[in-house]
This record gives sequence, structure tokens and C-alpha cells, in this order.
Amino acid sequence: MNPVQLLSTAELRLRAASVMVRFVTNTTKESKQDLLERLKKLEFDISEDEIFTSLTAARNLVEQKQVRPMLLIDDRALPDFTGVQTGDPNAVVIGLAPEHFHYQLLNQAFRLLLDGAPLIAIHKARYYKRKDGLALGPGPFVTALEYATDTKAIVVGKPEKTFFLEALRDTGCAPEEAVMIGDDCRDDVGGAQNTGMLGILVKTGKYRAADEEKINPPPYLTCESFPHAVDHILQNLL
Amino acid sequence: MAAWAERLAGVRGVLLDISGVLYDSGAGGGAAIAGSVEAVARLKRSPLKVRFCTNESQKSRRELVGLLQRLGFNISEGEVTAPAPATCQILKERGLRPHLLVHDGVRSEFDDIDVSNPNCVVIADAGESFSYKNMNRAFQVLMELENPVLISLGKGRYYKETSGLMLDVGAYMKALEYACGIEAEVVGKPSPEFFKSALQAIGVEAHQAVMIGDDIVGDVGGAQKCGMRALQVRTGKFRPSDEHHPEVKADGYVDNLAEAVDLLLQHMDK
Repeated sequence: MNPVQLLSTAELRLRAASVMVRFVTNTTKESKQDLLERLKKLEFDISEDEIFTSLTAARNLVEQKQVRPMLLIDDRALPDFTGVQTGDPNAVVIGLAPEHFHYQLLNQAFRLLLDGAPLIAIHKARYYKRKDGLALGPGPFVTALEYATDTKAIVVGKPEKTFFLEALRDTGCAPEEAVMIGDDCRDDVGGAQNTGMLGILVKTGKYRAADEEKINPPPYLTCESFPHAVDHILQNLL
Repeated sequence: MAAWAERLAGVRGVLLDISGVLYDSGAGGGAAIAGSVEAVARLKRSPLKVRFCTNESQKSRRELVGLLQRLGFNISEGEVTAPAPATCQILKERGLRPHLLVHDGVRSEFDDIDVSNPNCVVIADAGESFSYKNMNRAFQVLMELENPVLISLGKGRYYKETSGLMLDVGAYMKALEYACGIEAEVVGKPSPEFFKSALQAIGVEAHQAVMIGDDIVGDVGGAQKCGMRALQVRTGKFRPSDEHHPEVKADGYVDNLAEAVDLLLQHMDK
């Protein structure tokens, strides 16, 4: 089996064991639709209501606060904000959008914030993995704006507790009955464990050697990949 | 409130911030702040020693002084304490070869520094050069180093240009600190070494000096921590909330440099 088949098979094994599955992501460069189509093409058996993204969390907050956001997000994420007013902005929403993180636009955002606009950060990831190596995530730029304006962003994505609780809401499961599998030690595993879930760190994606030593308490389990994580769950946690 | 005479007694030297006190930078060279050209001239005619103490790091001293002279200011390069030369000294002393995240305008200040095979990153007010690409390159350099060193020329949050407030080096310094999980070393205000070197240049002791600046934390707070007195001007980046800062209380708040100089000249020991 090729690597992708291994992954989708592992997912099916979970479902076969009647484990409820949710796909949670901080991705800010794909709308839910795009994500769904991409995962389906990779032969993951998944429906739209099993996906919970930080973009959804951000939109919910914008509507709740009734603000008009300056959207510093990837163009491909814009469909998730259809219907939201963005003219004459009085809030800033910031996701992973390197093309927007140039001085002029960040300065515009800075001036809005200094005037009292709230800063909503989809997440504060320090960096992500690109073909040419590690690249700055939105976290550093959110930090820059927080420092410049002496304010704190409202973070809606991982590792915030609210994100995980929102994601679990319609599963009817308590955090203690749930496991998070992720490649980001602090954001995926640390955040989930902080909510009361078990966290399994996989050594794929952005994982770097000794990442598991960076959180306290350490991950419930560190293992090679998603299929290995599923093995463990099926063998030990049901 | 203690009378000005008491507050300004024994002053022999003045440290002047440049941006927000003398002028606001911006398109076409920026604009002098009303009354500042004459105020500097009056200070220089007086017995008080004067030193310009700036965190300017987007332009070289030569460019900055040339610009200020064109605006009518009596100022020369030798009278300016700025962070780039101080940084070069540190780099040489410690055998550091920097990757420079700086605006082209200040690059000449690093002309005799070895920049091959960098073992540290130097970040200054790069302005428009704070592109994602440039920030990312600096980040990647730091992540490759076994012992990542980040030197920041100042750590200001923002400054005033004629078009409005602008993000300063401090914000981008914090971005790299967060991304790499490290702490930067700051050269320039409010670091005590920087103030001390400015005082040494005019042979005045801290308790005999007054700093005049627009940054309540970087200029005023920083100077006071060194034992100087400090006046906050209401020009430049000043915002009304600065007068009620939770930690810093200036020795005086004045509308501008002209008012500060009036008071100094009125109350200095004759």
C-alpha cells in the first residue's frame, strides 16, 4: 500500500470500531469545501460536518461580535467568509497569509488596532513546513501586532481550549473520552491535553526531533505515524 | 508639583531624541516640528552640552544629518549617538558575522563588517523592507544556528511619520523572538550602555543630564533608569494616554522641544 492508502485504511479501521472521528485543522488556506474535496480525492471517507476548522471558529466569532473585519487571510479561505461585511473595517482577522504580511498591510492593521479594533487570530503557529524548509506562520506577526499595540489577540484555533471543545460539541463526547492525533506538539497535543483529552504526537509533517520534550506534561504517546496511532487506540483505548 | 526650578536644577547637559522631537520623518524628507530648529540653535548658544541620542536605524548618520541640516538644524555627524555604530563595535568584539535585516539606507554603516557565513542576525528598522520574504530569510538563518543570536537596534513599538504612525523594529523583533523561542539583545535606547555612551561623549554625569524624548518608555523611562531626568514632549508618537502611563512618570511633560528649551534656559544654574 502506498502511504496515502495506509492513512485512509487506518481511518476506516477507526470507524469500523465505532470511534467517532473529527478532522480538525488550523489550516487557513483552504475553505471547508476545498478541504473536503481534497480529502475525498485521497480516498478518505468523510463528510462536511466532520470537519471543524479554525476559519469556521473565526467566522463564528466575527458574527457574534458583529464586527466588520479586515481579512488578512489567504484568498482561498475567503469563501468561508461569504456574507461577512468587510467595508470600513473595525476588526482584524489574521490567518496564514504570507502574501499579506508585507509592511504596508500590517501597518494598516496596526493603525486599526491602535484605534481599538479587536484582533482575532485564527491561530498563532510559529512556523509551518514548506518545500524549501520552515517558513514563518501567522503567530510571529500576531505577536508583532500585539506588542506594537499593547493588546492581546483572541485566538480561535488550536491550541485554544475553546477550539477543541467546539470541535467535540456535536460528538456528544467529553474531552476525557477523546484522543487528538497531531504533528504539532504544542498546538495539537499540548492544546488537546490541556482540554482534558489524550494527545498522540506523530513523527510526520512538521515534527522535529525532540519536539515531545517541549510540553509538560509530555504527550500521552509519541509514535511514527497516523496508522501507528490508530493501532495503539484500537489495541489499548477502547 | 515641584517647581520647574527645582526639577531642572544642576542640569549641565541635554540628550535630544531626534524623531518626534526635532522632526517627523516621511515623504520628501519629512518635516521639522514647529519651533525645534530654533530650540536647538538656542541650546547650542547656551553653556549646556548637547548630544543627539537617537534610535534611528533606517538611515545612516550621514543621510540623517544631511536631511536635518536641509531642514535648517544645526547638527553634525559627530554629535550623534546612534545604534548602528554601537552595534558594529559589539559585532567586532564578539566575532559576530551578521545576516542583516535592515533597510538599504543604513547598510553603509556596516561596510567594514564581515557578513560572510553569518552566525547571527541583526535587525533594524527596515520599514518597507520588512517583507515576508526578508523576515523569513532571517528566521531561517536563526533556526540553522546552534546558538542563535539576534541583535535588535532598539525595540520601539511605533514611531510617527508625517503620514501617521508606523510599526517600528520592536514589533518585528518580537516576531522573530516568538518564532524562534529566543530573546533578542537590544542595542540603543533604552539600554543603559547606550545612554552611558551618549553621556560620556559630552562628559556629563547622569544626574546632571536631562533626556528629552517622545517615547515614554524608551526615551523617558529608559533615561530615568540610568539616573537621568527626562522630559516627555507631546509631539511625535506621543498619545494622551502616555501622560498616565502605569509605570513611567516623566519629570515633566512639555508641548514640544521649544517649550522644554525655554524652561531649561530659564531655570538652569547661572
